[in-house]
Amino acid sequence: MANFTINGQPIEVDADPKTPLLWVIREHLKFTGTKFGCGVGQCGACTVHIDGSATYSCLTPVSAVEGREVTTIEGLSPDGSHPLQEAWVAEEVPQCGYCQSGQIMRAADLLAANPDPSREEIIAHMSTNICRCGTYSRIIRAIQRAAREA
Amino acid sequence: MKHRTLTTLPPTSRREFLQGVGGVTLVIGSSGLITACSPEQAAQMTRDPASAITPNIWVTIGSDDTITIQFPATEMGQGSSTSLPAILADELDADWDNVVVETVAVHDTAYGNQFFQDMLYTAGSFTVHAYFDKLRLAGAQARKLLIRSAADHWGVPAEEIETEPSVVIHSPSGRRLGYGQVAAFTAVPEALPDVDESELKPFGSHRYLGKDVPRLDMQAKSDGSAVFGIDVQVPGMLYASVLRAPVEGEEPQEIDDGETRQIDGVTDVIRLPWGVAVVAETFEASKWGKEALRVTWSETSSFRTAELEADLEAYAAQAEDLSQTGTAWRETGDTAAAIEGAAGIVEATYRTDPAYHAQMEPMNATVNVTEDGKAAEIWVSTQTQSLSILGAAEFLETTPDKITLHPTFIGGGFGRRTLRRQKYVEDALYVSREIGRPVKVIWTREDDVKDGTFRNAAAQKLRAGFDSAGKLVGWHHRVAAPKVLEFMNPPRWEAAQGRDVIAMLGSESSRYDIPNFLAEHILTERCSRVCAWRGVSTSYTKFAAESFMDECAATRDEDPLEFRMQLCHNNPRARGVMEAVAEMADWSRSREGTGLGLALAGYHLTFAAGIAEVAVDEANGEIDVLNFWLAADAGYLIAPRNAEAQLEGNVIFGISNALRERIDISGGEVRQSNYYDYPVMRMNEIPNVEVRARSTDNYPTGIGEIGLATTGAALANAVFAATGARVRHLPLTPNRVLAAIRG
Repeated sequence: MANFTINGQPIEVDADPKTPLLWVIREHLKFTGTKFGCGVGQCGACTVHIDGSATYSCLTPVSAVEGREVTTIEGLSPDGSHPLQEAWVAEEVPQCGYCQSGQIMRAADLLAANPDPSREEIIAHMSTNICRCGTYSRIIRAIQRAAREA
Repeated sequence: MKHRTLTTLPPTSRREFLQGVGGVTLVIGSSGLITACSPEQAAQMTRDPASAITPNIWVTIGSDDTITIQFPATEMGQGSSTSLPAILADELDADWDNVVVETVAVHDTAYGNQFFQDMLYTAGSFTVHAYFDKLRLAGAQARKLLIRSAADHWGVPAEEIETEPSVVIHSPSGRRLGYGQVAAFTAVPEALPDVDESELKPFGSHRYLGKDVPRLDMQAKSDGSAVFGIDVQVPGMLYASVLRAPVEGEEPQEIDDGETRQIDGVTDVIRLPWGVAVVAETFEASKWGKEALRVTWSETSSFRTAELEADLEAYAAQAEDLSQTGTAWRETGDTAAAIEGAAGIVEATYRTDPAYHAQMEPMNATVNVTEDGKAAEIWVSTQTQSLSILGAAEFLETTPDKITLHPTFIGGGFGRRTLRRQKYVEDALYVSREIGRPVKVIWTREDDVKDGTFRNAAAQKLRAGFDSAGKLVGWHHRVAAPKVLEFMNPPRWEAAQGRDVIAMLGSESSRYDIPNFLAEHILTERCSRVCAWRGVSTSYTKFAAESFMDECAATRDEDPLEFRMQLCHNNPRARGVMEAVAEMADWSRSREGTGLGLALAGYHLTFAAGIAEVAVDEANGEIDVLNFWLAADAGYLIAPRNAEAQLEGNVIFGISNALRERIDISGGEVRQSNYYDYPVMRMNEIPNVEVRARSTDNYPTGIGEIGLATTGAALANAVFAATGARVRHLPLTPNRVLAAIRG
């Protein structure tokens, strides 16, 4: 049993304490915007915020979020209107789209700490996340746009 | 905005209509089953003017102004779910804001792609290419029907009626009606109006095409609401994880599941012909249960002896043994005689390692098999509705009409999801049939790599002959590779009569004017599971052919660009992309410490030329890619901005592959496991990529793979320009570069 807050809602989950948070979020709680890519912290598709910090949910046992606040892509904004989400649409970043929730959650963590990152800072921060479609340059542009327009 | 993207048709909804074919009308009934009936019966079924009309199989116009367009492909990131409806909407003169897109979820050849035996099949950059004319004509036909109906209604000549988006207008009397209003009183006639190409809008006059209509799938892919196959959950389902044989063809023998059955939530352990499935109430329990299994495997498979290095050397020996003839892929003139009689002969052999798709969404499927085991509902990320249905029907030994498919967004395709027999679906079919419950199967990344269907290994021998005047008179391209198409889809291989497009595409080099030309397929034994990869086979055929073109130019002491330009003297589109990319890269400017490499590629009717700029660390063999320029001509551009995104993405995909992506096979086992030992390019590793896609008046063709066809050779040629060392083995790993430098 684990108690934590997800997207602002307190929740109690009946899961083995060692269950990766990813599977609790996706399969138990049905917040499927967070994606499974590698399971070993290599691709970043599973990125969520724990107490505001971008974290690999695939490497985080659910026991580790006891009493903490978890935010997924569904909770980043009420209606998809976070400046990054709007910038993602405006720049037409996604191709297949599978990695993009993780990319946006990773980028949101950057902008929260550094509202006006340089190109180099964006690249250094975002290189944890893989996009097989190769949308990287549009991700950079969208983060710059969000920083500009936020 | 009423955009709903990629709605899949509920299997129980009333699906109306199709087109007349030879006096018989095809109707999709409530079950999704295609039946044939008389035109009268069809008309009775379809005339429901109170709600909507369906002028042809592609479009329905509702009295509420909603225009529903059928999307016959898969949206896997290439943007076709916007481009195809836009093609129809443009000719219909539909208000784009009222367009709804439905994905066709049945195997119905009326919606099929003519390049794939009329199957619903999204691959080979063939979607716009295949559907452009069909959808234009369908849109124009529907518009004509609305105009005639309004003309009758108003008692005016049809010629006096014009349209604005979703409105018919009779200017002389100032009357206007919305398409929905016209639909409300329109009965679809038995004989639909004929439309010919001359009635279509000329290029350059479109309202949506060429104008960057925003992609319909962007919002859902930015707020987490897009549903991929892996996101599906159905009531009452259990999870299954499958421990698969380490070597293809082996079977489980002893299964010790004692520890597995102790795990909370595990409900079943099932022996499959190809592995052992652990069924559980949660995914994690099924995964842990799988990890706790102790299984011994048979040791009889012929794949146990598969060793990439040795097998690739055997391929190379076959490629170099000119007494072994293969299946001609493209042949003109008498190549053997031309080369034997040549004043100068150039030869080289190229090798390519297998490559993994590394699509972000691992394989998965959710399946519910009926109690009798002869019907199923399937949710799966697929590039082919047709083969997902046909393959499942074959597996269950039932008929395709018993399979209900729910396609979804897919987390990367790149060819991985095009096979006829989809093992991830079969995992779920087997287990669901066994336990009588819906089952969701999720492969881990390690499962996805170990059981991958790879771009095959290949060895290629190239030979060229020059006459005494220095003219290239003969070109012989021998591709030693397995029968990839046979593994992917045996009936299609059967129909192809030995022509394996998946192994050979790109070796035709048809942009060049060479009088005696032979590309042939030397059949080898496969050493892994194989499948089409992004760009089909062009990532290796073009690596070899365009590297060799530079080697030929070097022996003549000619500039690689000028050498190619001469061979393309009668091909303005090929010359056009080379001129464009040369300008982008400032080709003729000499560089200090870096080298430029050029490659020209054709992909069906699309043209591209790429130039790489690299610096090579001669101490460790590492290639630093500084710039990559690409110019493409895919004809008339439907969505220019998306075209640029596609080109840029597939250039990055191609560079990633060419620099380091390789699958190794030893003892029949795949040595790699995950992204840490199959590293794909990250943001901090990409070079500056500049792409230019000029819209031309040529028929629109594919854009999602052409850039990749240039990358391997452009990089190898740039390494040669920088160092004088020729690397003939893809990927261009530092040890190979170093070995080439040290001669």
